[in-house]
Amino acid sequence: MPQTIDVLERARREVGLSFADLWMRYFTLGGMSTALEVEAILYGALIANAHDRDVIAVALNERFAELGGDHPVPYAGDDVDDEPDD
Amino acid sequence: MTPHRFGEFEIAVGFDVDQAILVVRGDVDVLTAPTFGAMLGVLVDEGHPNVVVDVGALGFMDAAGLGVIANMSVRLAESNRVLTMRAVSRQTKRILDITGLNELVRLEEPFNVPALGAEQRSDDNSWAVVSKPADLVSDLARVGSQPNHNLIDAALRLVTVLAGATVEGADGVSVTLERHGRHSTVASTNDTVLLMDDHQYETGEGPCLAAAAEGHWFHSESLADEGRWPAFVPRALEEGIASILSTPLMAAERPLGALNIYSNTERAFGPRQQELAALFASQASGILSDAGADAVDEQLGRRILDGLIAREIIARAEGMVMARDHVTAEHAAATLHRSARTAGVAVVEHAADIVASAPSAVGAGS
Repeated sequence: MPQTIDVLERARREVGLSFADLWMRYFTLGGMSTALEVEAILYGALIANAHDRDVIAVALNERFAELGGDHPVPYAGDDVDDEPDD
Repeated sequence: MTPHRFGEFEIAVGFDVDQAILVVRGDVDVLTAPTFGAMLGVLVDEGHPNVVVDVGALGFMDAAGLGVIANMSVRLAESNRVLTMRAVSRQTKRILDITGLNELVRLEEPFNVPALGAEQRSDDNSWAVVSKPADLVSDLARVGSQPNHNLIDAALRLVTVLAGATVEGADGVSVTLERHGRHSTVASTNDTVLLMDDHQYETGEGPCLAAAAEGHWFHSESLADEGRWPAFVPRALEEGIASILSTPLMAAERPLGALNIYSNTERAFGPRQQELAALFASQASGILSDAGADAVDEQLGRRILDGLIAREIIARAEGMVMARDHVTAEHAAATLHRSARTAGVAVVEHAADIVASAPSAVGAGS
């Protein structure tokens, strides 16, 4: 279990999306995990594959974009060695 | 029928073979509408198959009275009943037509009913005259059954129209509802207020969201001097909005949305306007309370439907990218995500563009 809060969970709190809203966005984007599984992924209780994490990241980044921001949540393919500071 | 101005407000209730008839005399306005609503509510809740409002002796009916008619029409519709209005004057009919209320009620031709003069009343024991039974308001028990969502939407739209027409200084009115953490405008009088609401949802702040979240009203007398909501306020000023009054809609003591009144004038909303706003908010709340949990399910149903449609569009676009690039579904999804980001649009919009274009014209991924 990770000691720090998952970057996805930190982003979710920052944009103020409920788990239900995040899951609906994730599902719309083609995500195949249940709402409970997504919640577990964000809490670090379940390890998701890179693709699933990326779909969650897209869902969060689209919310950031709606709020006028960029896409701060890193994707698995990105060459990022640390979590971005916001 | 020529409307007569009696000055005095009076209500009589009578029962025919299969009809409960409410005869209104005088003016139904913001002061007398609660009584009118309470009396009509009793007849509605008692389950009479035919509820008739006789307005032959009506002086005038203002927006508050029309709101009562709308509210009761919705409650009757829940049990497949229709409110009948009898002896409607041309003037009143015109107001019903303009507000769309004519679609919620059945209009009946003038009909011989006992007039409301004192002599007739004493002659006819079947008519009981009641004036301002204010206590009845609190005694009304609401019986919820199956609501008709189209009627609820129509009734909420009506409330916004009436509020816009009644509250002096109002340049636009909307109703915001919150379901599962998401806000949406379910009724609005014009595009500017729709835009104002959207700006609040986008920025995540503003009086309408504050009222819906905290359950008490938020009033910005002058947006130019407003210190709250720094992201939203500049957008509102740009659209010429100068003051906003948001009143919460409550059901079971829980806020579920807000009635928002926008004005192009600073300090447009004084105590009188605030009182009216509260009145219309309570009517909208009543409509929503009657709708009950089903409205929540309806809202959720729509969201799921929207989500499914978007998912289908994205899946189709991914399929097209897979065929074009000879890649796996996951790879195609990643390509789609990247190209959407490059284009600066949401994935679903990008996917819709791809699906709309010919297969040979699939946009190149990055």
